[in-house]
Amino acid sequence: MLRSFCLLAMAALAGATLQPSPAEAQQSFSRAVRIVVPYAPGGTSDILARLIAPKLQEEIGQAVVVENKPGGSGNIGADAVAKAAKDGHSLLLLDVGTLALAPSLFPDLTFDPQKDLAPVGMVMFAPYVLAVNPSVPAKTTGELVSYAKANPGKLAVANSGIGGMNHVTPVRIAKGLGIEWKNVPYRGGAAASRAVVSGESQVIFNGVTATMPFVKNKQLVGLAVSGPARLKAAPDLPTFAEAKLPAGDAGTWQGLMVTAGSPPELVARLDTALRKILAMPDIATKIEDLGGTVKADGPAAFRTWFAENVKMLGEVVRENGIKGE
Amino acid sequence: MEGRRIDLQDLLFGLFLMVVAAFTTAATWSLRVGTAANMGPGYMPRAIAVLVLAFGLFFVVRGLVAPFKGITPLQPRAVLFILLAVAAFALLVTTAGLMIASLVTIVIAGFASRETRPLETVLFGGAMAVGAVLLFVQALKLPVPVWPW
Amino acid sequence: MDLFTNLALGLATAVEPINLLYCLIGVVIGTAIGVLPGIGPIPTVALLLPFTFGLEATSAFIMLAGIFYGAQYGGSTTAILVNVPGETSAVITCLDGHKMAQNGRAGPALAIAAISSFYAGTIATVVICLLSVPLSVLALKFTAVEYFSLLVLGLLAAVILAHGSVMKALAMVLLGLLLGLIGIDVSSGAARMTFGVAELGDGIDFVPVAMGMFGLGEIMANLERPPVRQVVSQKVRDLIPSLADLRAAFPAMTRGTLIGSILGVLPGGGAALPPFTAYAVEKKVSKNKAMFGHGAIEGVAAPEAANNAGAQTSFIPLLTLGIPANALMALMIGALMMHGIQPGPQIMTEQPQLVWGVIASMWVGNLMLLVINLPLVGIWVSMLKIPYRLLFPAIALLCCIGTYGIANSVFNIWLMLGCAVIGYFFIKVGAEPAPLLLGLVLGPQLEENFRRAMMLSDGDFTVFVQRPISATLLGVAALLILVLLSPTVFRKRKEALAE
Repeated sequence: MLRSFCLLAMAALAGATLQPSPAEAQQSFSRAVRIVVPYAPGGTSDILARLIAPKLQEEIGQAVVVENKPGGSGNIGADAVAKAAKDGHSLLLLDVGTLALAPSLFPDLTFDPQKDLAPVGMVMFAPYVLAVNPSVPAKTTGELVSYAKANPGKLAVANSGIGGMNHVTPVRIAKGLGIEWKNVPYRGGAAASRAVVSGESQVIFNGVTATMPFVKNKQLVGLAVSGPARLKAAPDLPTFAEAKLPAGDAGTWQGLMVTAGSPPELVARLDTALRKILAMPDIATKIEDLGGTVKADGPAAFRTWFAENVKMLGEVVRENGIKGE
Repeated sequence: MEGRRIDLQDLLFGLFLMVVAAFTTAATWSLRVGTAANMGPGYMPRAIAVLVLAFGLFFVVRGLVAPFKGITPLQPRAVLFILLAVAAFALLVTTAGLMIASLVTIVIAGFASRETRPLETVLFGGAMAVGAVLLFVQALKLPVPVWPW
Repeated sequence: MDLFTNLALGLATAVEPINLLYCLIGVVIGTAIGVLPGIGPIPTVALLLPFTFGLEATSAFIMLAGIFYGAQYGGSTTAILVNVPGETSAVITCLDGHKMAQNGRAGPALAIAAISSFYAGTIATVVICLLSVPLSVLALKFTAVEYFSLLVLGLLAAVILAHGSVMKALAMVLLGLLLGLIGIDVSSGAARMTFGVAELGDGIDFVPVAMGMFGLGEIMANLERPPVRQVVSQKVRDLIPSLADLRAAFPAMTRGTLIGSILGVLPGGGAALPPFTAYAVEKKVSKNKAMFGHGAIEGVAAPEAANNAGAQTSFIPLLTLGIPANALMALMIGALMMHGIQPGPQIMTEQPQLVWGVIASMWVGNLMLLVINLPLVGIWVSMLKIPYRLLFPAIALLCCIGTYGIANSVFNIWLMLGCAVIGYFFIKVGAEPAPLLLGLVLGPQLEENFRRAMMLSDGDFTVFVQRPISATLLGVAALLILVLLSPTVFRKRKEALAE
């Protein structure tokens, strides 16, 4: 009995030493790869992950599964990937703007997004449309700004929750223009839209697909759009820059990340595969349907973008005492 | 039982409420309460805790003056093994996999009843484990390991 | 008339063979996942979403909708048979449905649940056709102020549904509210009572609490009381509800359908309000109040009808305004967008075939569910013949897997364990868990809307009585308190309990 146990133990030891250590770079993917989406199913990140997963499976020759790990503003799922084995088999697809805010919003964050996670590539950028309820006497951004200046604290901006880009954007704009408005948090973008359509709040910064139908139906008045260029769908809306609004880079940024310290060969393969997938026309169409544009930036540009945003958003959070409670 | 007082049900429930109220107050002590017009995150917990405390006092007093009413005796066996079964599942599901976790949970839960027949439970547990894997992992794609390796 | 052209178009779309097939697939999957505790419609729809990309939008949407209302059917089965509510809406069905099963009337309970759901589904389809537009206007009239008042009324209704002490029920609602406060505060971003546990950041999920207090609590209580569970395992001969059952259930179904249809439209009300409210109303108007909580058939019919009607009318804001009423509808919006359809207020005029096809398919799907479920009643009931010594470990296992499955989180299993302990304590001291669950579900919304209303009105409390809808709701709530606390009612309740 004891002997067989010893044999077993020795066999186990031998097995352990024979296995290659992760540092000795596996050249290929050895088992199923998971894409963790740190939100409940159905959001933009989730849809993107489910679009990309089957294509990535073809590219790397291993099963790719999408795993939803919702909770804690996305930090629970991100933490799971940050602490996963450094073998390149755990990916994370999420709203990286929110992730860039996390270090300044959550002092007890259990991981460092810049040290424990590494970028694979940006996937998509979706601009915000600035829209107001028709009861607001403003047909242009200029009129909105002068109305806000004349009536400090009267306008209420609906946001989709504390600590998102969508919450920080009106704060940045108010500071940049020297105006004062209420920031009213809602549970998610849909609830915020409903509130502005019903007139409970008056101003919203939200995605194109969520906002433009109401603008077309004259239930909201569209004033401007963030991002580098005007929308194909609404060419008469000026960009934030044209309308002299700050925070022109505001919007939803979705990116793919991997556990830091993963074998560089595998990350490079993921990068190549992701660029190839994002160049596919059907993916581009689906991403446009989601109200965004493809951003196939690669790891280096992503890293720079991320570092800049962590710094910039951190300053906004500190200066405005967000989460000073 | 004339003459005996104390409604144990009310008394215990009241004490429980008072403990919850005290605990809530302690746990939310550092949160800003704010004013009625501009409430902080601590406002509602504090307000509800006060109400819970009031209810707790009410039940304690009512329990002390009411005629006697006991509680049915505890049966530690049932409680203990059901809780152990759940705890075993929590500990095993991501480490040993769904197959082993399911079997162990069924077997431990079986001890909760005196009528359980060991062999039958083990066989049934095995069948349930296979069924659970087929249903939840194969059909419903629940992301959970099946085996420890 | 426009309505008939629309309906004809819808029916023609719904009965196309391909759509009938996907409707059938949807309701069968829905029933199956509804029966399994924990695996709700949301992850299932998310899982199936990529498979629908290849389908035509209408077929895809018909199938996804079928999963949703099919799950409402299935959920009641588990609640009645083993007292495990997998969904918020099934908590109420547990109260009288499981009691009926314990009295050896599982068959009629299941049958009435299916019939009520079908009846409600039929009426709700008509309601959607006739009243979508006015109801969507009503939905937009509900701002934070009105929601707060509605939620106050809803929480008071919870007190009626308890068949024990009013005071204990009130205390349980408060405990539920406290549990609901755990997590990151929506209005300030501050973490409350999370004790550094990241999983608590989004608050306590309903499923672990419900499964711990109902499912596991029930097992522990059953194991202590041998005589009761012998009845559960009893062979059930009568599967079909009697004429008297139907006569008692019919008015309850009708009232439940009405309540569900209206409350379902309001975004954010969630799945909890319609069945809870319907049950409370039924308990007030019913002639045999004493039966409630002991296996009253109206106590199954009304909430099941309300639940299904609400599930269907919750499509109204989505179909007319493009605004989702709940998380699942938000997922549906995602599905629409993936099919290149812009959800929004003009969807009804731009996609009439889709909208009316889906509406008509709901009625077709409800008919299918009735046909599928009535014969299944016999099979479900025969499950109760499994000896309890095997059934209870299986239920415990299903609770574990289901709880893990909602967020793939081991933490939730520990949470369920804690709730089982507390639930056992509540059984011992004679406090019912249902009001606590309602407090837990509605609490966060109550606080959120209250604080939002205060913020928008600059701290003016009078907004709640200045706005007509809100003032009416609060008036009804005040009346309810008066009735509840008036001594005559107290005496009546005691008499009723003594029977």
